[in-house]
Amino acid sequence: MLAGINRVGDLEWEVPIGYVPGMRVPGRFFLSASLAGTLEEGAVRQLANVATMPGIVKYSLAMPDIHWGYGFPIGGVAAFDMTEGVISPGGVGFDINCGVRLITTPLTESDLAGKRRELIERLFAAIPTGVGAKSTLRISNKDLSRVMVEGARWAVERGFGTEADLARCEAEGAMSGADPDAVSSKARQRGVPQLGTLGAGNHFLEVQAVREILDPATAETFGLKEGQVCFMVHCGSRGLGHQVATDHLRTLEAALSKYRIHLPDRQLACAPIDSPEGRGYYGGMVCAANYAWANRQVIMHEARNVFAKMFGLDCDEMRLVYDVAHNVAKFERHEVDGRPAEVCVHRKGATRAFGPKAPEIPHEYAGVGQPVIIPGSMGTPSYLLCGTTTAMQKTWGSTCHGAGRVLSRSKVKKEVLGKEVREQLAGEGILVRAHSDAAIAEEAPQAYKPSQEVVRVVHVLGLSAIVARLEPLGVIKG
Amino acid sequence: MSFEELEHTADLRLRVRGATLDEIFAEAGRAIFQVMYGHCKDRGVERRIEVEAESLDSLLFDYLSELLFITDVENVVFCTFDVKIQGTRLTAVLRGEPLDPARHSGGTLIKGVSYSGLEIRRDEEGYVVEIILDV
Repeated sequence: MLAGINRVGDLEWEVPIGYVPGMRVPGRFFLSASLAGTLEEGAVRQLANVATMPGIVKYSLAMPDIHWGYGFPIGGVAAFDMTEGVISPGGVGFDINCGVRLITTPLTESDLAGKRRELIERLFAAIPTGVGAKSTLRISNKDLSRVMVEGARWAVERGFGTEADLARCEAEGAMSGADPDAVSSKARQRGVPQLGTLGAGNHFLEVQAVREILDPATAETFGLKEGQVCFMVHCGSRGLGHQVATDHLRTLEAALSKYRIHLPDRQLACAPIDSPEGRGYYGGMVCAANYAWANRQVIMHEARNVFAKMFGLDCDEMRLVYDVAHNVAKFERHEVDGRPAEVCVHRKGATRAFGPKAPEIPHEYAGVGQPVIIPGSMGTPSYLLCGTTTAMQKTWGSTCHGAGRVLSRSKVKKEVLGKEVREQLAGEGILVRAHSDAAIAEEAPQAYKPSQEVVRVVHVLGLSAIVARLEPLGVIKG
Repeated sequence: MSFEELEHTADLRLRVRGATLDEIFAEAGRAIFQVMYGHCKDRGVERRIEVEAESLDSLLFDYLSELLFITDVENVVFCTFDVKIQGTRLTAVLRGEPLDPARHSGGTLIKGVSYSGLEIRRDEEGYVVEIILDV
């Protein structure tokens, strides 16, 4: 382990006050010995930088997929006091409400025999992906205002999915507090043509098979069976979210001196939660988050249609298990010093993992906790887990969000060719479809930590519990 | 004028150099388009922009963010950047071509410009800056 960090448990580490000047609380992160070798000093410094922010409560936290980002580390979680604390786009990222949803189908792997290539091609044709992709939807600026307030419900009311889908989204697919006036005309211009598009980078739609059930009772509650074909959608708020983040980052950075906030990294620019700048960012961020839920709802609907036509299914037979956000700031009630209190929880590359009986989770899952979806990379498994009481006590109800990168994009492109990755994966029975081989190379499985190990750590710590393992059959990428 | 990609696990970190401020801003523009789209040719698309900020670092942030906005909404790719800076005000003439997914899909989409470590410094060769971009 890096110097200056103390071990406080089997898989738990503390970054003491003083690691960087001005820390108000210690940092805590969770990592196994085998993952420790991948930890960058830059990520720990970023974790410590977050601890300098006004009103931070208890700890600056990071999940086992911690890595070096900008502002907060990726995998970073921090809660702020509602009166003394701040809100920061650096704790959310540019892709506001980047998230994942998992959908089951009544098909088994054998139903796909001889049809997998066609399925992947049809999905690729139905869902706009990649740089410059534009939506087939034609929405007006007025529609966009409604999308930003109503989120996934806007899509459902226009025939993209059903009412039942909404209950199975975090925040029912729309956070309250949206302020369309806090969204610039530039953000709107980017948002209008991109609703229903997957985007590029690490975003994907993947067809998967449930390979192993580790908790049969909970899997049954979530509607999963061994051998079942599922699909997973990973994307966010597209250009609209990027612009909202950019605009407000700029406003908050300029307001730092007004609030006498001194930070070691200007990307942590923030303002008191109940200040004009803080409220402005929150209202704009909620608009982008709601846009992202509508986006994933539209994409899911298009994918359901492809499956329905190819296999003679009814869309109702393809059940949304859950939709989780992994880049967002939310006002939540947690226990602080033995008392319930509202705090502003930032999760940047971290997933909410509320335990059983949490009032925010769907009634049908109240007995087992919230479904937590952890996407793997193209060649490594994805996992379905459930939230726990331990997560509520230790991490503001949060867990990891993915495998976490270990190789930069430039390094991986030097080490592997996209064509080779595509052929290697095809040899393993995983079909990959993208606009370019370079996009495949960047996201090659070797660029990521093993998802198995990241998930094992959160499971052993009790931050969430493994329910099922899913393996990729085919993937479309931006 | 030059740029190089530095090591960064999750995002993209560029070091950009220029003998003058005009040059370093032009090169930073060229760098992000190179990363996003690879090859680009001047095929007659031209745009003029003006940006003003309270400091040079914020001017760079605003200018690069403006470029990301223009390429996203107008589907254009730029290859030449004629930048003039006076104080903390910038005017630029950008030239390039319409986005063609068949030729421009080999790159990395940039989601935003980060303020982390964004500081234009002077050294013996002129100006240098490191920029972390969310990809």
